[in-house]
Amino acid sequence: MAAKLVIAVPSKGRLKEASNALFERIGLALRKTGHERRYSGMMPGLDGVEVAFLSAAEIVHQLKGGRVHIGLTGEDLVRETLPDVDGTVEFLAPLGFGRADVVVAVPDCWIDVSRMVDLEDVAAQFARVHGRRLRVATKYLNLTRRFFANAGVAGYRIVENVGATEGTPAAGTAELIVDITTTGATLAANHLKVLEDGLILHSQAHLFAARGAEWTKGAMQLRDAIVERLISNSH
Amino acid sequence: MAAESARKFEALEAQAATLLDVFKRGGYEQVAPSIIQPADIFLDQIGEAIRGRTYVFTDLSGEELCLRPDLTVPVSRLYLERHPRADVEARYCYNGPAFRFQRKGASQTHPREFRQAGIECFGVADRDSADIEVVLLAADAVRAAGLGEFRFRFGDIELFFALLDALSLPERWRLKLRHYFWRPPAFHALLSRLAKGESVESDGPAAELAATLPVQDRALAAEAVATYLEANDLILAGNRTLGEITDRLLDHAADLRAEPLPREVATVIDYFLAVEASPREAIDRIATIGKGASIDLGPTLYVLSRRFDLLEESGVNVDAATFATEFGRDLEYYSGLVFQIEAAGDETSPIAGGGRYDGLLRSVGARAEVPAVGSAIHTERLLASVKGFA
Repeated sequence: MAAKLVIAVPSKGRLKEASNALFERIGLALRKTGHERRYSGMMPGLDGVEVAFLSAAEIVHQLKGGRVHIGLTGEDLVRETLPDVDGTVEFLAPLGFGRADVVVAVPDCWIDVSRMVDLEDVAAQFARVHGRRLRVATKYLNLTRRFFANAGVAGYRIVENVGATEGTPAAGTAELIVDITTTGATLAANHLKVLEDGLILHSQAHLFAARGAEWTKGAMQLRDAIVERLISNSH
Repeated sequence: MAAESARKFEALEAQAATLLDVFKRGGYEQVAPSIIQPADIFLDQIGEAIRGRTYVFTDLSGEELCLRPDLTVPVSRLYLERHPRADVEARYCYNGPAFRFQRKGASQTHPREFRQAGIECFGVADRDSADIEVVLLAADAVRAAGLGEFRFRFGDIELFFALLDALSLPERWRLKLRHYFWRPPAFHALLSRLAKGESVESDGPAAELAATLPVQDRALAAEAVATYLEANDLILAGNRTLGEITDRLLDHAADLRAEPLPREVATVIDYFLAVEASPREAIDRIATIGKGASIDLGPTLYVLSRRFDLLEESGVNVDAATFATEFGRDLEYYSGLVFQIEAAGDETSPIAGGGRYDGLLRSVGARAEVPAVGSAIHTERLLASVKGFA
């Protein structure tokens, strides 16, 4: 029988274990179909559901293209990747794990800097002294641009960084960073502090629905069934 | 986006030939700078408005490159390549594609790929005459292409800096206001903060430390800051130096002791930045504002008013033009005259724009400032205005 609903779940990374455990707990354990190395599966507890195992970032792209109906991924990736979040996906349910804050952090020796307004002053001073703009290391290009623009900070440039962002200020390849943090321990170990008003996003894992997917009656029923179990099990 | 029709292609080519012909007869040599440019120079020098819209990519060797979002920087680099000492006059014209990401999707008036035709004039010491030359040539070009009715909008960044210099202000506030000029919302917030005597970071350990620093002795202050860092297990890391951190704390200490910005001064700045009128009326109003504040803007206003006399003598209908003190605040490399050419009443999609950018060449590698002024025509818009191509 052809699948009526396709759900994408993380195949690796920090969201994988927690999402597998979640579906198991609500009686919808995920099973890979065919060979163990394949990237598709099913929910024995719910007929007609096809599971696509993808990376959290890829899930956002599949949701955007409407190639999966629903998907589990981080709010940070959704807000970073989609130019029109509300027009592209619907937030079905927050899942209570994968919590991470996207924050602006500066070297903790910058005792003259505690808030976003200080950054523009520092940018002006830095340009006078060093002849160039402050560099912000991050993989969150769009979140950073939006947040800095709203805070009136413009004298910076982004250096795209997908690796160990928190090491860049000490290494001298950037002056400050925008990154995710859960406990703040990594930031502290790298002698960085979060600005008082530097919280860009309080993120967690969500179940999203793709507005652009083909929503048959069967797909909607399966979506509702999954969401209902998630909500009734969240207490 | 619909493919360009053969008819539109031919019309654009013919129009480009007309524009280049006008430029070349005006003494401008045609050049064709590279479409692919090093990303660094653009990302460092151009304002965030365009930076966020530039197509940046990494090639197979790992070099960061971009598709040029405009032609002024590439032509400036070309001038420096030909004349590394930047010590000769040069006049260049061009016609070629530029690329900008359009957040709301590409459209006819805001395409992601468009053709700019323009002129750049380098190294001419007589700035006033070079300014006039460029404005007139841009006007001649759009007229030759068939644009019968258009209006000028003018501004002059220098005027605001002259106002700041004339006002009695602590130097650190002057530097701040100069910098924030390019970021209007933050500028107004800063101005009202200074006028209320509010300090942003008047609490916290940094403020306590700042209050104890010896304001007159920078070296001693730096020592005190170093001691504080050590006592609090803060390691000095990264590119900002102890001196820079100390200087900001000293500025802060000075702010704590300073009287707030007199309300009249804040009002003068607000009134000044609200001026938008025909050039002669605008100059009158600015003179009145200056007189009210007992400051002398005479020399700057004289230069400005002479510029409009010369333009009028050359056939420009100055009374139909607009002069706005705020105009030009969004492209950070402009340093003096700024202007745009608007087709009947549409100032959001100007046909052409330009201005003076004396600081740009230094930031792309020249040893000192180089007089530079130029103008670029948005050729698709020009064609749409003239021929009604949509």
